[in-house]
Amino acid sequence: MRKLGFLVLLPWVVLAETRSPFLQPAFAPNISFILDVSFVLRNAEPLQGHDHGHGEFNKERGFNLNYGELFLNAPVDPYFELSATIPFSEKGAEIEEAYVLTRGLPHGFQIKVGKFRSSFGRLNSQHPHLWDFAQQPLPYRAFLGEGLIEKGVQINWVAPTPFYLNLGIEVLQGENDRSFGVEGFRVGNVEVGDAPKPGLFVGFLKTSFDIGDLSLLSGISYAEGHSRLKEPEGKAFSGRTKLYGADLTAKYFFDSYRHIAFQGEYIHRDRRGTVYTYDGSTATESKVVERQGGFYTQLVWGFARRWRTGVQYNLLDKEEAYYGMLEFNPTEFSRIRVQIGKGEVVLQLTFAIGAHGAHPF
Amino acid sequence: MRFLVLLVLLVSVSLADVRVVVTYPWIGDLVRKIGGDRVSIHVIAKGTEDPHFVVPKPSHIAKLRRADLLIIQGAYLEVGFLPPLLRQANNLKIQPGREGFLDLSNYVQLIEKPEVVSRAMGDVHPEGNPHYHLDPYNIPLLAEAVKEKLCKIDPDGCPLYEKNFEEFASRWRSKLIEWNREFSTLKGVRVIAYHSLFNYLLKRYGIVLAGTLEPLPGIPPTRSHIEKLLRLENVKIILVGVYNERRTARFLAERIGAKVVLLPHDVGSLPEVRDLFSLFDEILRRLKDG
Repeated sequence: MRKLGFLVLLPWVVLAETRSPFLQPAFAPNISFILDVSFVLRNAEPLQGHDHGHGEFNKERGFNLNYGELFLNAPVDPYFELSATIPFSEKGAEIEEAYVLTRGLPHGFQIKVGKFRSSFGRLNSQHPHLWDFAQQPLPYRAFLGEGLIEKGVQINWVAPTPFYLNLGIEVLQGENDRSFGVEGFRVGNVEVGDAPKPGLFVGFLKTSFDIGDLSLLSGISYAEGHSRLKEPEGKAFSGRTKLYGADLTAKYFFDSYRHIAFQGEYIHRDRRGTVYTYDGSTATESKVVERQGGFYTQLVWGFARRWRTGVQYNLLDKEEAYYGMLEFNPTEFSRIRVQIGKGEVVLQLTFAIGAHGAHPF
Repeated sequence: MRFLVLLVLLVSVSLADVRVVVTYPWIGDLVRKIGGDRVSIHVIAKGTEDPHFVVPKPSHIAKLRRADLLIIQGAYLEVGFLPPLLRQANNLKIQPGREGFLDLSNYVQLIEKPEVVSRAMGDVHPEGNPHYHLDPYNIPLLAEAVKEKLCKIDPDGCPLYEKNFEEFASRWRSKLIEWNREFSTLKGVRVIAYHSLFNYLLKRYGIVLAGTLEPLPGIPPTRSHIEKLLRLENVKIILVGVYNERRTARFLAERIGAKVVLLPHDVGSLPEVRDLFSLFDEILRRLKDG
């Protein structure tokens, strides 16, 4: 073992002699890569979802490469910290997130600027590798698609209270393709112009406290923005959309390795505007006021050091979905998960290498 | 009028305490010993918890938000929970590199620094073994670092911190004489430990670590590894931390004729361990009984 280690080191010893005095390896940012692959058994056809960016997860029967995600993070200087998330699919790469956080504003303020996952709701700001189930809950998929990931700015403030209280507002471009959108469109002979840009405003409040070994975290969120949505079948919507969110997480810790966690989130969508339909010759307009709500609740039980199991219930309008999962986590860096539900079995494997930061609660 | 202003100033000064957040209970006890009533202390981890697996509860963010000083154990022990808390605390004063931040691992000599690191080796700490507070010789050095930092942050309280430090250090010195005498009777005793948690103590007093139940740091015991440990001879004691499972240790102990000894690793890990003095007293008592 020692001999082998010496052999590995040898090239470096040689290199050290000729190393440029301007190399800066110590300043390399934290770099990590997360791989997520799955094997899917399914008898029913999947829900029709949007396919863009890094695509829908676990889409094909058989083997899937869901994503390979590159993370970069480092302080820029004493004042800023930069983080980027770059998911690769087999087709290419995109910048899912790239944002800068302030490190030292006074009085408990923090500004985030760039492209980032909005702090709307509980799950929205979490990366897919943090989800407790293989896909997003039903209300998220219906109202937000991949999630509310937008270019813009966030200001948040942690109150100087004895319990946790975090308030924030976001001004976002509003390009979400399920509820918002700013680009104008043409349906038949009707033309709808661009919405004002930026077109989306988000506000949120989160609070948390502990009762003994029970930790509670809850939040309310609000998003309001312009909508310009065009569907391929000659249907389109223009108007304004409001989203209301309420979430609650309760985690009870038995000891260092065992816990039970409840999580539930309700999202309500309120939209009013004009629906355009084009039948090939004429476009018809109709005014609509539409209200829709959905929620999910889940219970996850970490019953042994490396094992977790859980169930999730989803309801949106009259559509229901149940999922059950069992996880084996050999270390914090690897996870093997089996999920059953909606007429499918998903075996999902997730691995992380490199310097990956710890995750929030 | 001038008197009134002075009075108000005095009252506000005497009420103004230094708000300190620490990651582990033993650091909290050290700060209490030096800071006395001038400091208020919030401890993130509980003594009964595995120090590697602490939950980043949002309630700690509220404490960090208002803290004047954050003191950590360092050497990557807090890497799993502190960075997200610190990022969300929106408090400039306690960020690494600022005056209100103290990493105690900088004040001691870390042992077992690996030459090469890879995750294939389990949960290795690139800077060395982080459980350095279990060498009683390190405690006065750490107490002095805490005293210096408190003096910097709160110069008005410095005379008190100096006085408390002198008292603490002299009490510790006399306890060290006793501990040295007692622990030295254990010199050469062969032990197995669940994790490399007590290595500083073992090294200080010449107790021989014959093996660990974990095949690699942070990886739970496996059958093949236990079979290897079964071949070890003359092992008197198997050390387990308060948060470790005990079944494997008992299984092995029965077969090799050793005794399982549950050792406290931090203040509050067992009801008897109320502060740093009783931590080492209790470790000694339990080792001698074993």
